[in-house]
Amino acid sequence: FRFKDSLAEDLRRADLVISHAGAGSCLETLEKGKPLVVVINEKLMDNHQLELAKQLHRDGHVLCCNCSTLVETLQSMDLSTLKPFPPGQPEKFALFLDKVVGFQ
Amino acid sequence: TGGHTTEILRLLSCLSESYSPIHYIFADSDKMSEAKIRSFEQKRAETFSNSKFTLDRIPRSREVRQSWTSSVVTTLYSILYSLPLTYKLKPDLILCNGPGTCVPVCISALLLGLLGIKRAIIVYVESICRVETLSLSGKILYYFSDYFIVQWPDLKEKYPKSVYLGRIV
Repeated sequence: FRFKDSLAEDLRRADLVISHAGAGSCLETLEKGKPLVVVINEKLMDNHQLELAKQLHRDGHVLCCNCSTLVETLQSMDLSTLKPFPPGQPEKFALFLDKVVGFQ
Repeated sequence: TGGHTTEILRLLSCLSESYSPIHYIFADSDKMSEAKIRSFEQKRAETFSNSKFTLDRIPRSREVRQSWTSSVVTTLYSILYSLPLTYKLKPDLILCNGPGTCVPVCISALLLGLLGIKRAIIVYVESICRVETLSLSGKILYYFSDYFIVQWPDLKEKYPKSVYLGRIV
């Protein structure tokens, strides 16, 4: 398919996700707790889009490769090395904002 | 737009009932944000029956990778548009997270503050996607916001006046 409104259903059923380094794709996948292999195409990407993928890789949440190393990565990967991705904490933001605005 | 809307709705998700009415401002070219916002507000109304919100569209200030000179022109146009809107809404607090749309609104709010008409607190939250560098909106609003929040420690080091709360979306 080309475009779907939501990949939530496909994500739910997947055992492994192979994706480009777009932030939305990466975060949505990690939040559903699915193992993720990020394929980086430096020619196509904005440098800033790579920042998140690189950081997630550094933190051990995703595997990274490029188009030519994808097959090798899939053959030799050990998904158990991936660390779970804890959810963000908007409650911390709410606490901060309450102080800023004066609601306590 | 897109990711920004998702992020801002997450930021709003834990706010108390006191943050009302919420005025959402987004780009006229944005087709998907309205639906996301309405859906969010519908759920919010289940907990806070008195919550109120409004939706307003302004011309998009800048397309991705638009040239600098034409960006200045389109941003000025957006400011002309957002100034009367901001004057009408007179917000106490502006929360924004990086789309070009937020710059004209914040500039309008700053102008209203300078003119003694209404002083808004401007809180900027940089996107979770920004790990090592700030967005263009971020680079501008770092100097003009009251509170500038980043979500990764690298940025806190590079921009010492920023606030780091960890990942909040």
